Amino acid sequence: MSLVLDIFTIVAVSAGAFFFLAGTVGLLRFPDTLTRLHALTKADNLGLGLVVMGLLPQAEQPFAVIKLIAIWLFALLAGATVGQLMARAARRERPTP
Amino acid sequence: MRTISVRAAMARGAGFLGFWLLLIGPNPADLVAGLCAAAAATWTSLRLLPPGDGRLRYAALARLALRFGQESIMGGADVARRALSVRLPLRPGFIVYPVRLPPGPACNTFGALTSVLPGTLPAGVDDHGALLYHCLDVEQPVAVQLAIDEGLLIRALGGTHDDT
Repeated sequence: MSLVLDIFTIVAVSAGAFFFLAGTVGLLRFPDTLTRLHALTKADNLGLGLVVMGLLPQAEQPFAVIKLIAIWLFALLAGATVGQLMARAARRERPTP
Repeated sequence: MRTISVRAAMARGAGFLGFWLLLIGPNPADLVAGLCAAAAATWTSLRLLPPGDGRLRYAALARLALRFGQESIMGGADVARRALSVRLPLRPGFIVYPVRLPPGPACNTFGALTSVLPGTLPAGVDDHGALLYHCLDVEQPVAVQLAIDEGLLIRALGGTHDDT
């Protein structure tokens, strides 16, 4: 059972790391601020979700499980809010057609 | 009215303190900092989001949460595919979405929810109060997806879902 959980952790955390990598590649390759924001908000949201999901079976107490999920939700909320604010600021700099 | 806001303040304060204890741990020596943080958070929350009489519908909220999860996965996978593709398939541009929700917390929630949708990023409002979305690919059926999300959110917040 513990082996299955360990394998689950390795797979989920690796998948999370892959999405962080993809988000970073997008940050470098995408042409402007707004498209780069897409790369960061979406890929990192999924990447962090997968890392947290992978770490859940390794938590020693139920308290740690709630804490991990709370951290993910907090990062999600912060990312969604700050992403919008930065998009607004970027649009003001370069008015819409 | 006064008793309602006192009750709302107590409930929110207890929630914030609980969240703080969850993150920091129940150490008596740290509790003063936690109480100060919870008080500051409660004050801010009551100012920014005064207690209303809206009632949440949990079934619609659960459907919304499920859809949010699916969209997060699709949104992340979509952007990863585009970023790693050799051709870099992007057709960026703006679309205007005439939002039905009133401006304020409900509309902001909608913006935050839809920022995980595949290929869309809320980028403010235009002169007529419609939401502006920046899209990675303007040929995707973005407005249809946004309308489904908005309908679910309106129902979760206790409103009636009149059209679509």
